[in-house]
Formats: sequence, structure tokens, C-alpha cells
Amino acid sequence: MEKEKIIEVKNLKVQYGDRVILENVNFDIYKGEIFVIVGGSGCGKSSLLRQIIGLEVPVEGEIDFEGKDFIAAKKNQKREFLKRFGVLFQSNGLFASMTIGENIALVLEKSSDLNEARIDKIIEMKLSSVGLNGFEDFLPSEISGGMKKRAALARAMALDPEILFFDEPSSGLDPVTSAALDDLIKQINDGLDTTMVIVSHDLASVLSISDRIIMLDKSVRGILAIGTPEELKNSDDERVYNFFNRISEKE
Amino acid sequence: MKNKDELENTIEIEETAEFVLLRPKSPLTLSNSKVYDNSFDYKKLLKGKEKLVIDFSELENYDSYLVIYLNEIKAFCKINSIEFQTKGMDNRLQRFIETLTPKTADITKGKQPSYWYKYFKNIGDLVKIIFSDLYKLVEFVGDLFKNFFRMLFKPSLMRWVDFPEYLISAGVNAVPITVLIVFLIGVISGYQGAVQLAQFGADKFLANLIGISITRELSPLMVAIIVAGRSGAAFAAEIGTMKVSEEIDALTTMGFDKMLFLVLPRVLAVAISMPILVLICDVAGIAGGMLAGLASLDITISSFLSQLNIALSYWDVFSGILKSVVFGLLISTIGCFRGFQVEGGAESVGRYTTASVVTGIFFVILVDALFVFVLSALGI
Repeated sequence: MEKEKIIEVKNLKVQYGDRVILENVNFDIYKGEIFVIVGGSGCGKSSLLRQIIGLEVPVEGEIDFEGKDFIAAKKNQKREFLKRFGVLFQSNGLFASMTIGENIALVLEKSSDLNEARIDKIIEMKLSSVGLNGFEDFLPSEISGGMKKRAALARAMALDPEILFFDEPSSGLDPVTSAALDDLIKQINDGLDTTMVIVSHDLASVLSISDRIIMLDKSVRGILAIGTPEELKNSDDERVYNFFNRISEKE
Repeated sequence: MKNKDELENTIEIEETAEFVLLRPKSPLTLSNSKVYDNSFDYKKLLKGKEKLVIDFSELENYDSYLVIYLNEIKAFCKINSIEFQTKGMDNRLQRFIETLTPKTADITKGKQPSYWYKYFKNIGDLVKIIFSDLYKLVEFVGDLFKNFFRMLFKPSLMRWVDFPEYLISAGVNAVPITVLIVFLIGVISGYQGAVQLAQFGADKFLANLIGISITRELSPLMVAIIVAGRSGAAFAAEIGTMKVSEEIDALTTMGFDKMLFLVLPRVLAVAISMPILVLICDVAGIAGGMLAGLASLDITISSFLSQLNIALSYWDVFSGILKSVVFGLLISTIGCFRGFQVEGGAESVGRYTTASVVTGIFFVILVDALFVFVLSALGI
């Protein structure tokens, strides 16, 4: 059975001033997969993610969401698209002045017409699904780094997005917490069939959770390799092989 | 049932005297939640029934809403002793429900405290904060004094490199705005005073009124308020931001004393610039008052100045300057103190910056009242 495409990136070019970061980038993301973007520092991983979620507009190229051009979409249409995205930012992006519950409620109040009691139920449900039962009334400053990540994930999941984007989910987390977050990502992917797009440089985590990996590189200003973890670990390209195996040896 | 067509598109219902089968068709999604609420009322339907079966075989679209809707119906059945069953669930749907069903579904939350309990608790908390802040402030001032004396014996302990910069930002850069404001205050009190004095033919005493009120009170007070808003707030925000970005921790681990490195240069800069600012503003304020007098009363520049010479003593000017040094110490110390209280993130920086201005102005007015009380008791 042919896999269904959810995102298609076509001829994307990313440029800041005169500096071209990425050009001629083409790839597809399939429904329900865990798709990881890796690469060395400064290769444009986070820039690519910012283009896909519409925070930046590419100089050239097209990003299609379910066959419709996301970049060219009108504001209203874009907003509808964005409702189907959930994003977990590198530094969480939780609103510090609101409790965890209020952080999640904010999205639900704006984008659904549920009453307060049902919103509370959803908050309880989402917090429970990330293992934070009963933390509704805590402020982000009152919980640990790993918990903040999970709370931000619960917020990103508030509207049952079809795709969840993660920017460096394991940054600032210890290996155990990071592994627990990986398990959670897998569990949500399995349970809810949510497509996951993850930018990461934590190879241990990348290899353990990904279905497919795309490797970006500065030297080619674009994609150096794309494939399953196994394929990339056994790549003929020396740069790809080194990138994946050097870390594996250390494990 | 509110609308038959709508109902048919939403859900199929098979009903006998004891049994109900529901077959949802319309998407059970957050964006579609109103459709179910508007088209049928399950509570009414289940009245007096013994068994409910929900068949999901026709349902294609769903999200978290399905789980809460299902849980609501389940809870209703449990309360009313109705047997509850589901069928037609595919694997995907089962996994979906399992993932989202709260693990400890009935978390019994502690009893909510009453309104009055919370009311008095808030008052208590506030009093506690005020006293603990005061205690910490006294501790902070003690530490500052200790380091000031250490610095007197060994001036190289303080970081002098930043000192001129603070002197410029807290002093020199504040000249235009303070001069303008005190000048305008002089003009305002000059006009107001002139109207009253003219009634008694006491025009020439405008110089007394302006000279004494500006030098003793208005100039030091206005300058203090402006400096609290400019430098006090800036110190709190600077130090607060440094605290958030762990710069203070870095300094401490590198063996620097935060008092000598950050606080003392700022406090000294403000304490030195305040009297100079006040002296300049005294002139501006008196000039403003004189201008108002010239415009509205029958006096000349020379008569105003000669009356000012008689009315104003050195002590009037000096007492204002003395006060301004104390105000400067207060404002800068409180600014730095609030900065060190910052904890957490950007929001906390904003809160303590505001607090630094409010506390600074409060203490300035309080100490000014003490000055008035002590000086009048001493008869000077």
C-alpha cells in the first residue's frame, strides 16, 4: 500500500541576507511516521522547521500540506492549517504567567466551543497522557525541565493535531528524562497515529525513535541523505556513515 | 429531539423499552462538538432504560472529544445503573481511547478552601511578604555598609571601571528631564502662589515661597521620583536579567563579591549625582517661579532676587541637598535589592522592576516626612 503524503517540500530555498542556507530541498513526510531532521550545527535544521510551520517564509519553493500550498495560503486558510499542527519549541514556549492548565485552556478556548467543564476534562486528559496528572495548577516555574517539556507537549496536543513538530526535544534534559520523552513520543505516535517531525542532534534518541531520517549538511546546502536509520547507518557516503556510526560507537 | 434531519445525519438511534443502541455518524471532534449537543440529549433518551450499546462502526472522524463524550455517557450510566457496552471499535480507535483515557481517572482533588479562608490567607501572606522583604532589605543594607567600609580601606576592591558609566547614565543623562520637570513645577507653584499673594499685596514674598519650597522640598522630591523611575528601575531590570541568565551565579563562582562588583558602584554613582542634580534643579525651579511671578505680578528680576537673598538661607539649600543624598542611597539600594529578588523568568524581572519604583518612591516620601518631623522638632 502506498503511503499517504502529509507534507511535501518542493525546491525549497532558505536564505538570510546574502547567505544561502538551504537550496533545492525536496522531500516528503508520510502520514503517521516519525520523521527526524538531523545534521551538524548551522546546517539549517531549525530554519527548515521554521519554514514548514510557517514562522518564516522561504525565498523560493513550495510546502504542501495534504496537497495544498501552505505558503501561498490566505491568512484564514493558514490559520485552519495551523490548528492541525502542534509545535513543541526548544525552550518550551510555556507562558510563564499562566498555570499549566491555563496554558492548555488558552488554545482550547480560542479554537473550540467547548464549555469550561469539558475544557477541564480535556486538560486532565492531555496532562494524564503525558504523565502529569494533577499538575493543572502549577506554574511553569514550579516544575522541572523534563516536566515543562511534557507540559508543553500536552499544550501542543490540545487540539489533537495531525502533525506534531519538535525542535530539539531533548535539549537540556538528562539521558533518563530524554529517554522517557522518547517513549512518550512513540506512545503518542502509536496510540494517536500523530505524524511526528523532530529536529534533533541527540543521535541515541534519533536512532531509537525514527522511522525515517533526513540528514542536512552545510557543504551541500541541503539534503545529504534520506532514509531509514538502518540505511543511514550503513550508508556508502563516508560523511553520513561517520555521522551515524561515530556516535553509535560511543554508545 | 430538536431537528430530525440534523439528528439523522448525526447519530442513528435504535430503541426498545429497556434497550438503546447509538450509532454515531457525524465526526466526534472538538470542532463538531456542538452538533451532538444540539441534536440530541442522551440523558432524556436513557431515562428508564436498562442497557446502552454504542456502535462505532459508522464513525470515521474523531479526536479527544470522543473520549470525553464517551466518559460523560459512561459516568451517567454508572450513576443511573444502566449497563454500558461498546462495539464496532477497530484497533486504531481502541489504542486512541487507551492513550487518552486519564490513567487515574478519578483523581479526588482535596477540598477547596472557602472564600474567607483564601481572603485571610492572602492578607496573611501579604503581611508575611512585607516583613520578610523588610528583613532582607535590612540584611542587604548591612551587607552594603560592611562592603562600603571595606572599600574605604581598600578602594581597589570596588569595580571602578563601570562607575563613570553609571555616573553618566544616572546623573548626566538625567539632567535635561529633571531640569525641565522642576522648572515646570516652579512655574506652576509660582502662578498658584502669585494669585494668593496678590490678594494681600504681598507680591514680593513670592521669592520666599518659591525659594524655600523649591530648595527644601520640591526639587529634592521631584528629582528623587524621576531618578527612582529612571535609575532605580534600570538597576532592578539589569540585575534581575543578570540573575535570570545566571550571570550573578557565574560572578559568585568566579569569586567576585556582588556588592563590590554590582551594587556599590551603582549606589555611589546615584548618591553622588543626586545632590548635583538637585542643585541644578534648584536653580531651574526658582527660575521657573520667577518667570511666573514676572508674568503675573508687579515685580522685577532684581526685586525678586534681592528678596530671595534675604529669604533663603544656606541651610535651606543644604538641607535639600542632604536629603537628596539619602534619597539617592535609598533609591539605588532598593533598585539593586529588588533586582536580586528576581527569580524564574522574564515576567519576574518586570514584577520586581515595578516593585523597585514603588518601594523606592514610598521610602523617599517616608524619609522625607521623617526629615520634616525631625528638622521642625529641632527648629531648623
